[in-house]
Amino acid sequence: MLSRLRYIFRETFDSFRRNATLTVAAIITAAISLLGVGLTLLSQQGFDNLLSKWEGGVEMIIFVNAGATDDQLGVIDTALGNAGTFVEDFTYCDAPCSLNEAQIVLAGEPGTLALLGLNNIPTQYKVVPTEGTDVELLRQLEGAFAELPNVFNVQFAEDQISLIGQLQDFFGFRLLLLSIFLLLAAILLIWNTVRTAIFARRREIEVMKLVGATDWFIRVPFMLEGLLHGIIGGVLASGGLWAWNSQWTSGVGEFPEGSGFAALVVTDGYDKQVMLIMLIIGAAAGAIGSGIAASRFLDV
Amino acid sequence: MIRLENVTKSYSAEVVAVRDAGFDIAKGEFVFLVGPSGSGKSTLLRMLNRQDRPERGAVWVAGRNIVDMPPGRIPHLRRNIGNIFQDYKLLLEKTVFENVAFAQEVIGRPKHVIKQQVPAVLELVGLAGKEDRLPHQLSGGEQQRVSVARAFVNRPLILLADEPTGNLDPATGEGIMRLLDRINKTGTTVVMATHDQRIVNTMRKRVIQLDRGVIVRDQARGVYE
Repeated sequence: MLSRLRYIFRETFDSFRRNATLTVAAIITAAISLLGVGLTLLSQQGFDNLLSKWEGGVEMIIFVNAGATDDQLGVIDTALGNAGTFVEDFTYCDAPCSLNEAQIVLAGEPGTLALLGLNNIPTQYKVVPTEGTDVELLRQLEGAFAELPNVFNVQFAEDQISLIGQLQDFFGFRLLLLSIFLLLAAILLIWNTVRTAIFARRREIEVMKLVGATDWFIRVPFMLEGLLHGIIGGVLASGGLWAWNSQWTSGVGEFPEGSGFAALVVTDGYDKQVMLIMLIIGAAAGAIGSGIAASRFLDV
Repeated sequence: MIRLENVTKSYSAEVVAVRDAGFDIAKGEFVFLVGPSGSGKSTLLRMLNRQDRPERGAVWVAGRNIVDMPPGRIPHLRRNIGNIFQDYKLLLEKTVFENVAFAQEVIGRPKHVIKQQVPAVLELVGLAGKEDRLPHQLSGGEQQRVSVARAFVNRPLILLADEPTGNLDPATGEGIMRLLDRINKTGTTVVMATHDQRIVNTMRKRVIQLDRGVIVRDQARGVYE
C-alpha cells in the first residue's frame, strides 16, 4: 500500500515537472475562473447586505430619533395601526436590533460605526404594505408620518431597491456567465494537460499494461494530477480573493461617509465560506477534466 | 498451458491475419512460430496476452478461455505472461534497475521484495554491475537482456517473445537464445516468433509455421525450412 502511494505521488509530480508549461497554464486558468466565481458570490453577498434592511417585503422604514419616549413610540404605533387599509404589518426594530443591522450596512465605514451605540442609534419601524397597495399610496402617507414627534426620516424601498437590484442582476449574471466560461476553459485545459501527459508516457503505459498493471493503477496518478491542478487553482484564487477583499474593505473605509458603498463590504466570515466553495469547485473541475481524459485516452 | 481452437482474426474484410488456427502447447514447452512477414505470428502472440481478440474460436491460457475474459481480469492474466519485443520497449529515462523494478512496482510488489528479486534476475541475465546504467549506455544485446529480465522478474508461467533477436547480430542473438533456453528450463513455457532460420535450426525445438494466417506445419524438433 505504502509503495503504491509512493509510486502514485512520484509519478504525479514527475508529470508536473515534465509538463510544466501546460500545468502552469491550467492552474492559472483555473485560478482566474475560480476567482471570478468567488468575486461573483462575494459581490452578491455585498448587494444582499445593502438590501438586508428591506428583507421580508418591507417597503417603508420610519426612522425614530434615539431617546424617543414610549409615549412617542405609541403615537407612531397608533398611526400605523390606523393606516390598516394600506399597512399589512409593521415591526419595531429597537436599538440593539438597529445596531446589529448597522454592523452589516455600515461594515465599510468603521468610523461611523464606532460613533453609534445603543444610546444614540435611531430605531426603526419597518412597514410591510398590504397586497395591492401601490407604493405611491404609501408615499402619500410619508408627510403624515414625518411630522410625528421624534421621527427624523422616512425611507422607501423602491428608491434604493430598484437601482441596487438592477446592479445586482447586471453584475451577478454577467460575472457568473464569465466565470462559467472560464471554468469550462479550465476543465478543457486540465483535460488537455492530462491528455498530453498520457501521450508523453504512452510507452510507459503500454509497458505497464503488458506487465499487468490495472487500469485504475495507471489512471490514478493522472487523475491526481488534474485534481491538484484544480486544488492549487482554488488555493491561488482564495489568496486572490482574500487580497481583493482586504483591499476593497480598506478602500471603502476611505470613501466619503454615506457614499453608499459601506454595505458592499463582506466581513462576517462569508469570504471564508466562498474560499471553501472555490476549493471544492476547483477540485471538482480538476477531477472531471482529468477523469474524462484518463478514461478516454488510456488505450495507447 | 496454451490451447487455440479454430481461431480466426481479421483486421478488415480483406485482411485475415489468422484463419482457423488451432494447437496445444504444454507447460514447459519451447515453441517457435515461423513464417514470412504478415503471416500472422505477431497477431497470434497478441491474442495470447489479450491485446487482440479473435472473431471466432477459443484461446485457452492456464486453463481459462481468455476470449471473453472481463476487462478487470486481464491485468491478472498478464501477470502470468512475460513479453519480449524486437525493439525492447525499455523506458529510456529509467535505469536498468528501475526498468526491471517497474514491472514489479506496478503490480504492487513491496519494496523489500523488489530490492531482493531485481538484482537476482539481473545476475541471471548477466547484467550484474550495470544496474545504474541508462538504456542508451547499453549495447543492443544488453538492452534485450534488460527486456528479458523485466519479462521474467515476476516469474511468469509463459514468456512471449516477438522477434527478440531481430535487431541483434548473430553472436548476440545466440546469447539471448541461451538465456531464453535457461528460462525455459526453469519450467516457463516460451513461445517465440522469429525469422531467424539459423536460430531455429540450431535449437531444434517445436516449430509452428504460418503462411497467410494459416498453420501449414506443426513439427516437434523442427527446422525453419
